[in-house]
Amino acid sequence: MADRSAAIAGLGMTDLGKVYGRTAAQFAGDAVRLAVADAGLELGDVDGLLTSAGVSGGVGLALQRDLGLRDLRLLSEMQSYGSTAGQMVQYASLAIGAGMAETVACVFADAPLRQDTSTGAAYGARGAVGWRGLLGAAGIRDTNSMYALAAQRHMDTYGTTNDQLGHIAVGQRAWAELNPRAQMRTPMTLEDYHASRWIVEPFHLLDCCLVSNGGIAVVVTSAERAASLARPPVHVLGWGQAHPGHAQRRHEDFGLVSGAARSGPAALAMAGLTVSDVDVVELYDCYTFTVVITLEDYGFCPKGEGGRFVADGTLGPDGKLKVNTGGGQLSSSYMWGMTPLSEAVLQARGEAGRRQVPEHDVVLVSGNGGVLDHHSTLVLSPHGPAGRSSS
Amino acid sequence: MTVGPVRRDEATAAFFDGTARGELLLFRCPAGHFSPPYSQQCDTCASVDLTAVAASGGASVVSRSVAHRRGGHRDILVVAELDEGPWWWSKVIDVEPEQVVAGARLTVVVERADEESEAVPVFRLA
Repeated sequence: MADRSAAIAGLGMTDLGKVYGRTAAQFAGDAVRLAVADAGLELGDVDGLLTSAGVSGGVGLALQRDLGLRDLRLLSEMQSYGSTAGQMVQYASLAIGAGMAETVACVFADAPLRQDTSTGAAYGARGAVGWRGLLGAAGIRDTNSMYALAAQRHMDTYGTTNDQLGHIAVGQRAWAELNPRAQMRTPMTLEDYHASRWIVEPFHLLDCCLVSNGGIAVVVTSAERAASLARPPVHVLGWGQAHPGHAQRRHEDFGLVSGAARSGPAALAMAGLTVSDVDVVELYDCYTFTVVITLEDYGFCPKGEGGRFVADGTLGPDGKLKVNTGGGQLSSSYMWGMTPLSEAVLQARGEAGRRQVPEHDVVLVSGNGGVLDHHSTLVLSPHGPAGRSSS
Repeated sequence: MTVGPVRRDEATAAFFDGTARGELLLFRCPAGHFSPPYSQQCDTCASVDLTAVAASGGASVVSRSVAHRRGGHRDILVVAELDEGPWWWSKVIDVEPEQVVAGARLTVVVERADEESEAVPVFRLA
């Protein structure tokens, strides 16, 4: 049977962070042009396009015309919040495997930051009407509050502490110092973490992700075609999604278990691997807590042990487990699921510069959307599915 | 201000008629399961034969957090389990953060921002 597996052949990243004067649509166009050029392709080679918009909107079907893409065989706007990026790679891989498309660009872009407003306002409440308005009127104004309630439940149930969450922020900042693209590169200590102001307890400012403008795109194509292109192919070995559909009622495990518990094992099983095979872990880290629950759910440590696990010299460039090696959403930039995915591509290629992990045969990537409502996982590798020991 | 202003829409009209009477309305199906008031169907058995009933007002803290606002004000936020089973996300008023721990007993009350706004269910310590 012919190998119809897929690989990521191109990566495009605009300037990220406090970058003003461009719309989300312009960032999206820039990111796709960069990704296509990175692959050594031309826009005319693209026959599929999947788009993902952030809070500012404006990234959608019109991107086809912005990029002058003719006769596409696949085109859609996708939305599962933070799990979308991983899912786009999955749908692109499926389409390529089915022979429906050959070269699919997947893009996320957002421009929530304005020069004259605070970063908090960029993600703030939007109109107090109906059920959503009721939540805000009662003080649950933003995602910070909802994740804080999830994290506190984990802390009350398993004894997870702020000190342990702080180790995640500190470890990722140490990685960010090695990443020239990272927004936050000044060294951080555990004392700095504890001294940062409360946002919503148990979250300090340094528990929360950044807010960023910019765009990131990847080009997915057949492994066969990727082998002849400009960059080292990053093979898509496995994937999973999980959308638990939690009810709001007695006995629900909100804050204790996420969709990662199903998505992670499914992705690894598809790749024929286990967590002990994973060399590099790029996790969606909208909050420090999201790293804790995802490490537990993926099986890197037992349920409830995530806090103790990360506080035990596990994280950071000198740690036992290489997690969020670019600094993540906490210290590098917040491009939703494209933040962990883009760093995973760089690590799998061996192009991560001073922060390159020497062993990078298996890279695990997570995406997380809503309030732990949506999860996606990818298993990536510089080696194809036929034989991981040789490329 | 204890709660913020909120306006009704088509989906919330009956619910806010309830809060105007001081009630937090839930749905009950013929099998006796309770579901949140925004449900299309029973979240236990999928029945669409739902009747609006007022919650008893008793609840327990599932999780809690403290939101720090500009000017030093703090809001004590909770996910609370109503005694009927559904969870309700809101704030606890007239309380110190240390008093709001997992399992603490609460009572539903309603507050409104001003005469133009709908009444909003919040909690007090029982």
